Amino acid sequence: MEAVIYTCLGLMLIFGVMAVMFHSMTKSAIALAAASAALGAIMYETGAIWSALLEISVCSGLVTVIFISAISLSNMDKKELEKVYEDKKRMSLLPVVLILSGAVLVIAALSAGVSLPHADASAKAAGDLREILWNNRQADIWGQIIVMITGAAAVSVLFRESDWK
Amino acid sequence: MSAMAYIAVSFLVVPLVIIIIINLIQRDFAKKICIYLAGASAAIQMASSAVEFFMLSANRLHEYRFTLLWNMEEDAEHFGVTSLSLVVMFCIGFVSFISALIALRTIDKRKIYYVNLLMTLVLGMNGMVIVTDLFSLYVFLEIVGISSFVLIALFRSETGLEGAFKYLVMSALASIFILTGLSLIFMQTGSLLYSKIGSNILIAEDGTKQTLAYVALIFLISGFAVKTGAVPFHSWLPDAHQSADTAVSILLSGIVIKVAGVYSFIVLTDLFKNVPAINTVLAILGILSIITGALLALRQTHFKRIAAYSSVSQMGYILLGLSTGSTLGLVGVVAHIFNHATFKSALFANAAALHEQTGTLDIDEMGGLQSRMPVTGFSNIAAFLSTAGIPPFAGFWSKLLIIMALWNRGFRVFAGIALFSSILTAAYYLRLQKKVFFGKLPDKYADLKEIGGTVRFAEIILTVVIIAAGVCFPLALLYLKGRGIL
Repeated sequence: MEAVIYTCLGLMLIFGVMAVMFHSMTKSAIALAAASAALGAIMYETGAIWSALLEISVCSGLVTVIFISAISLSNMDKKELEKVYEDKKRMSLLPVVLILSGAVLVIAALSAGVSLPHADASAKAAGDLREILWNNRQADIWGQIIVMITGAAAVSVLFRESDWK
Repeated sequence: MSAMAYIAVSFLVVPLVIIIIINLIQRDFAKKICIYLAGASAAIQMASSAVEFFMLSANRLHEYRFTLLWNMEEDAEHFGVTSLSLVVMFCIGFVSFISALIALRTIDKRKIYYVNLLMTLVLGMNGMVIVTDLFSLYVFLEIVGISSFVLIALFRSETGLEGAFKYLVMSALASIFILTGLSLIFMQTGSLLYSKIGSNILIAEDGTKQTLAYVALIFLISGFAVKTGAVPFHSWLPDAHQSADTAVSILLSGIVIKVAGVYSFIVLTDLFKNVPAINTVLAILGILSIITGALLALRQTHFKRIAAYSSVSQMGYILLGLSTGSTLGLVGVVAHIFNHATFKSALFANAAALHEQTGTLDIDEMGGLQSRMPVTGFSNIAAFLSTAGIPPFAGFWSKLLIIMALWNRGFRVFAGIALFSSILTAAYYLRLQKKVFFGKLPDKYADLKEIGGTVRFAEIILTVVIIAAGVCFPLALLYLKGRGIL
C-alpha cells in the first residue's frame, strides 16, 4: 500500500509542476485535474474513501470544467498568451526547487517519525461516515451547504455570458 | 424550543431564507425589493443579537449551546453563542445594514448578485462566531473569503478584478497556512474541538511533538494575519478596499477583516492562553501595523486608500490589546471592534457621498467642500476624531482600555508607542479633512449640493452612534464592573 501512496505522491508532484509550467492554460487545467486525481488516490489508499470520492468528483471534475469554461470565455489570442507567459522562461529552475522542497519535506517527515494513518481505523470510520457527519459534524454540513450556495452565486457573477457580451 | 434557541437559530436561517426568496420570486420584483430585504435581515440580526445578549446576561450563562434542525450526540460539535460572539454578531448586522443603505444609492445594476453575496458573507461570518471547532471555523472562513472576493469583482471593472485577484491569491496563501496548522494540531490531539484542544497540545514531553505544535501555531498566526491585513501581510488590503464598490468597502473594512482575522485570533489566544510566545508575536505584529499603516496613510491621495491604510493601523491596536491576554485588554479589543466598525463605516459612507457628488475620490482634486456638504463634513470630523482616540468620542475609550491593559501587563514601551501613534492618526486625517473640506472651493464644485437619501441617513446614524457610544461608554464599563467582568 505504501508503494502506491508514494507513487501517487510522486505523480501529484509531477502533475503539479506540469500545471505550473505548461504554456497552454487548457493543458495546465488538465494537469491540475490529474494532480487532484492522484491526491484522491492517496486519500482512498489511506482509508478516507468519502473524501477521496469528493476530491476526485469535485476537484478533478467540476473544478476542471470551471477552469476550462473560464479559459474559453477569456478568448485570449494565442500570440498574446505566449507573450504573457514569456516570464515563465525565467522560472526554468522552478521544477528543481519544487522537487528539492518535496524531498526536504519527506526527509523532515521521516526523521520526525510521522507515520501514515492506519488504513483499518480510517476505513472503519469511513464506513460510518454518514452517522458521524449527522451526529457529530452538523456545523460542517451547514458549512458545505453554504459553500455550495456561495459557489453558485460566485459562478453566476463571474461567468454570466450575457454580461460579457 | 426556547426563545433563546429560536433567536440563535435565526442567525443562520434568516439570511438563508432571504437568499431563497430573492432567487425564487419574479426577477424584476426581486430587483426592486432585494436590498430592502437585505437591510431587514441585518436589522433582525441586530435586534436578535441584542435580545440574546441580555437573555444570556439575565440567566448568568457563559454560553448557550444549540443545534440546527436536528439534535446531536452529547459531546459532539455544537453551535454556541457567548456574550463576545453576540457583540460581534451585532456589529455584523450593523455594518451590513449600513452597507445596504449605501448600496441603495451606489449599486444600480447587479443588485440581486450583491444581495446574494452579502447574505452568504453574513452567513459565513455568523458561522465563524458560533462554531466550536477549528475545522468548521476554517470552512466558514472560506465562505467569507469567496464571498468577499466575488463582491470586490462584482462589476468586473479592471481595478475591481485586480483587487479581487490580489485578495484571492493572498487568501489562498492564508488558507494553505491555516489548513497546514490545523493538520499539525489534529495530528497531536486527534480533535479540533475547542474544548478538546486547549493547551494540552504543548504539554507533551516529546520534543518533536512540541516543535510541531509551535510550527502549527506559526502557520495559524500567519494565516490569520493575512486575513486581518496585519503588516507585513497587508499588501492585498488597500487595493481590495479601494477597488470595490463603496457598499462593499464598508463591509470589508468595517467587519470582514475583524471577523475573518481578529475573531480567529481571539479564538487562538483563548485556546493557547498558556503560550506567552503568541502574545509577543501579536504585540510585534500590532506595533508594526500601527506605525506602518499610519505612515503609509500619510502618503496617499485617494480617500478610500487612506481609510484602508487606517484600517491596517487600527487592526494593530486590536492585536496589541489581544497581546495582553487580560480581561481588560479583551474588553478594549471588543470595544475597538465595535468602534472601528462605526467610524470606518462613517468614513466609507462619506467616501460614497463625495464620489456620488464630485465623481472623484482624489483628495488633491477637492477642497472647500464643508460649505457645500456640511453633513458629510461633520460626519467626517466625528469619524476621524474617534479614530484618533480624541475624547469624548467612542474611539478614545477603547484605545484607553487597550493602553491601560498594556501598561498593567508591563508592556510600557508598546503602550507609549500606541499612545503616540494616535498623533500620526490625527495627522493623516487632518490632512484629509483640510484637503477635502477646508480651503478654497474649486469653481467646478460651485453648484455642488449635499447628498440626500439613504447615504445621508447612514451618515447621520453613524455620527450619532459615534458620539452616543463615546458619551455612554462609562455606563457600559459600570455594567461590566457590576457583573464582575472588570
